[in-house]
Amino acid sequence: MKPVIVGAVLYDPKVSVIWEIIQEFFEARGCPIDTVFFTRYELQNDALLKGLLDVAWNSPLAWLDAQRRSNGGCRAIAMRDTDRDRVSRLVVRTDGPVDSLAALRGRTVAVGASDSPQATLIPLGLLERAGLRAGRDLEVRRHDVLVGKHGDHVGGERDALACLQRGEADACAMLDLNHDAWRADGTLDPARFRILATTDPFDHCVFTVRDDFPAAAEHPWLEALFSMRYEDPRHRQMMDMEGLKAWLPGRTTGFGQLSEAAERQGFWR
Amino acid sequence: MPAEAPSWSVRVATTGRDAARAFVRGTAFELGVPLGFDREAPSISAMEYALGAVGGELVVGFQRAARRRRLEVDTVEATVEARLENALVHLLVVGETGEPAMQALSARLYVTSPAEPEALRAAWDEVLRTSPLLATLRRAAVDLDLTLKPLA
Repeated sequence: MKPVIVGAVLYDPKVSVIWEIIQEFFEARGCPIDTVFFTRYELQNDALLKGLLDVAWNSPLAWLDAQRRSNGGCRAIAMRDTDRDRVSRLVVRTDGPVDSLAALRGRTVAVGASDSPQATLIPLGLLERAGLRAGRDLEVRRHDVLVGKHGDHVGGERDALACLQRGEADACAMLDLNHDAWRADGTLDPARFRILATTDPFDHCVFTVRDDFPAAAEHPWLEALFSMRYEDPRHRQMMDMEGLKAWLPGRTTGFGQLSEAAERQGFWR
Repeated sequence: MPAEAPSWSVRVATTGRDAARAFVRGTAFELGVPLGFDREAPSISAMEYALGAVGGELVVGFQRAARRRRLEVDTVEATVEARLENALVHLLVVGETGEPAMQALSARLYVTSPAEPEALRAAWDEVLRTSPLLATLRRAAVDLDLTLKPLA
């Protein structure tokens, strides 16, 4: 069988270990894959849309970009269970003056990288829907760590929290999973910081293919992917590293907020 | 310079997937991948061997330098850490630039000894001056940060 060529953006060399395990798993299932790593989602989508890749492990923003550039010519075929129904949170100091979104008017909000859906675009969209436009009604302090990787690297988000902790911002934005992890490991003291607002749920990464990806290649690939079981210790290490308990079919109903935020904030210009 | 410069050689052959054995003067050691990112990997990468080699050069080199000076030394231990210019280039990441070259190496040598610190310092200076691997890294413009830490 001809190997399916799968692309992924690598924000950290450690992520290559996950892909080695995935590659071995697919190989053992008789469905070989070749992996190609990219430094930025833009390059990965270039390769996908030129037909150099069969499947791209895309961020939500990269999914929208692929659809935009192909005039809707792509499909989302699979995602992690943890990609569904994520939320972002705006966090403020417990003893601070901010007790509502409206109270952020004239204040400073720390966000992640400019292309981070969860730590910048969607949270700024929430503020915009509350009548607060960045630059006009409030100051936005961006933390552009590894732009091009769409916030996969947690550095920008962590820097935004540090900005709040230093008192240089009145609020900061973060993904729910990071908020929970930082509360658990002591990075974020719940006695000093609290959640001001939470976005509506949105979806995260998806395996993206072009419309013309042949069913003869797609079906066995998906069959292999969906056969991974968290209960199986041979699969668990990779699934823990990648942060999922199950692979699910792709869906595209969870990208509305991001699509709207990217348009309104002029991200594609 | 000696009339004919001596040389050293090893023979290295693959023994399986991501595995090799280096044969050296009738003995051998096992190697894994060139550069590893998996903390659970059972094998030792070429990069880790290189750091081990530098550490070995420092600790045994220091032990010998101290012995020449008749200094009493109880324990000598080194920690060695290196950073690469861009490890992602090694992984063939499209769009990454630069080289996967060693950019910086830091080593701390911990010595437990009743000897005078100045005497230990002289032995350390000799190690820094005469160690072949250190000299090579210095010539390759690797940013070296080498520190002696005498312990009482």
